[in-house]
Amino acid sequence: MTTALIADDEAPMRDQLRARLQAVWPALDIVAEAANGNDAVALAQQHQPDIVFLDIRMPGMTGIEAARHLYSRCHIVFVTAYDQYALDAFEQGAMDYLLKPVSADRLARTCERLRARLAAPPQDIGAQLAQLAQVLQQAAPAKPAYLRWIQAQVGGNLRMVSTREVLFFQSDEKYTRVQTATAELLIRKTLKELADELDPDEFWRIHRSTLVRVDAIVEVTKDMRGRQMVRLRGHKEELEISRNHTHLFQQM
Amino acid sequence: MGDNHRGQVVLFIRDALREGAIIWWRFVDWLALVEWRQLGIIWVLAIVGMGMLNTPEPAVWFVFISFGVKVLAGGKRKAEVEARQAGVKANVANLEKQLAQAQMAALQAQVEPHFLFNTLALIGQLIETNPPEAARVHAHLIDYLRATLPQLRARGGGTLGKQAEMAKAYLAIMQARMKERLKVKFVIPMFLESAPFPPMMLQSLIENAIKHGLEPKIAGGTITVRAHVVDATLHVDVCDDGIGINLHAPDGVGLANIRERLALLYGGAAELVMEPPPGGGCCASIRLPYSMMENA
Repeated sequence: MTTALIADDEAPMRDQLRARLQAVWPALDIVAEAANGNDAVALAQQHQPDIVFLDIRMPGMTGIEAARHLYSRCHIVFVTAYDQYALDAFEQGAMDYLLKPVSADRLARTCERLRARLAAPPQDIGAQLAQLAQVLQQAAPAKPAYLRWIQAQVGGNLRMVSTREVLFFQSDEKYTRVQTATAELLIRKTLKELADELDPDEFWRIHRSTLVRVDAIVEVTKDMRGRQMVRLRGHKEELEISRNHTHLFQQM
Repeated sequence: MGDNHRGQVVLFIRDALREGAIIWWRFVDWLALVEWRQLGIIWVLAIVGMGMLNTPEPAVWFVFISFGVKVLAGGKRKAEVEARQAGVKANVANLEKQLAQAQMAALQAQVEPHFLFNTLALIGQLIETNPPEAARVHAHLIDYLRATLPQLRARGGGTLGKQAEMAKAYLAIMQARMKERLKVKFVIPMFLESAPFPPMMLQSLIENAIKHGLEPKIAGGTITVRAHVVDATLHVDVCDDGIGINLHAPDGVGLANIRERLALLYGGAAELVMEPPPGGGCCASIRLPYSMMENA
């Protein structure tokens, strides 16, 4: 008897796939169901099914990662919500996939193909999987992981401030001052550390002791002493640009 | 020919008078608004300056006339000028308010298309496998849409009670999908249900808690919605025991949107605070001035 495993984090989805499989392939024995990628791998090792239906987006291990553990031992069918990148990759790699919500016709065709393939060992899709993992990673924003949240102690509580709220950072002897539109916080992280970790397109260094949010800058003016000063949206204080950073504003 | 010439002269005189009147009234406006101290300095300078040219007379006339005008007409004129400026300012403020309202409508009008699609797919699945559950989810979806779609939104939906109701409908749908992986707790005292609370903010925080906190966690977890008043500030907290904030993941459109709307509605008097609880996970708290009723 042919055996199968269903992995999807949503129970109603598993129920539906099970019911549809029973309708189009009554002889198929569904030996186990998994709610995440890790369980899918463990249960597949335990039950040794012939076919594994894998949802791609699952907590823990994703469907793609689980497939890399399993493809040499069983036939893999991916089940996915609409995702153009993944679909293109499936088509190119001649892999089996079902689109959610799974239609009965499509499932019947896939099952027919699986029946024909069962006699042969599972196809070697290792290379395609590696490529797919890469494609999906590229589809997600591939920006380097810059620091996006600042942690500060406020009245005994740890507070997380999004860098988007920060107007500027200013070093203040022992601490670094974090200024938002509504609050001023002190953190221990040094300006040097911040400059290394923050997105250089988000914050510019305009002074030895100042990092300023670029899109908060309203105006750059010269004061009476000839210093260039930055004025910020919604904030009174003006910040000085030191001589070796004036080049940042030459185009303006 | 002579007529024509005379006509030109008349025209010229009329223009000159008009210009003169404009200059005169500008002078009066200036006099009305200028401070006495400044005027005094100008008088002294005028007398000294003209005195050095040995013709102090015009300066004395200037002092005399300007003193007279300022004393006699200054107060009334000043009030008029200030009223006009206030009118302009009020117009600008009004325009700004209209602009803010338009921005607000745009910011509120966002039902996630993914959510709608997934929920309809879920109802489709449940019709086959569990029809009574399908009917329940369907009813929750209707409640949710009624509260969410701007065209359907009932007036007076901006109370904490209404927002919590809608959040419960949303969470019930998510529970049908995530089953035991999503537990929900609401701690909102009855007396706070009538408190005004802007639409779609609670919703947005809950979506975040599920998407970034609980969905990526294998075991799932609990979302706790809590409301309380601290001094005169209403705190509405959405806490989850999920995987917590990734320090390197940019905050999404949802949070930026809430911050923007709080700023538009309350100026600096409201804030969105993120505080991870000691046990892990994330707590997002909206804090705004508390009032008991709408328009109170």
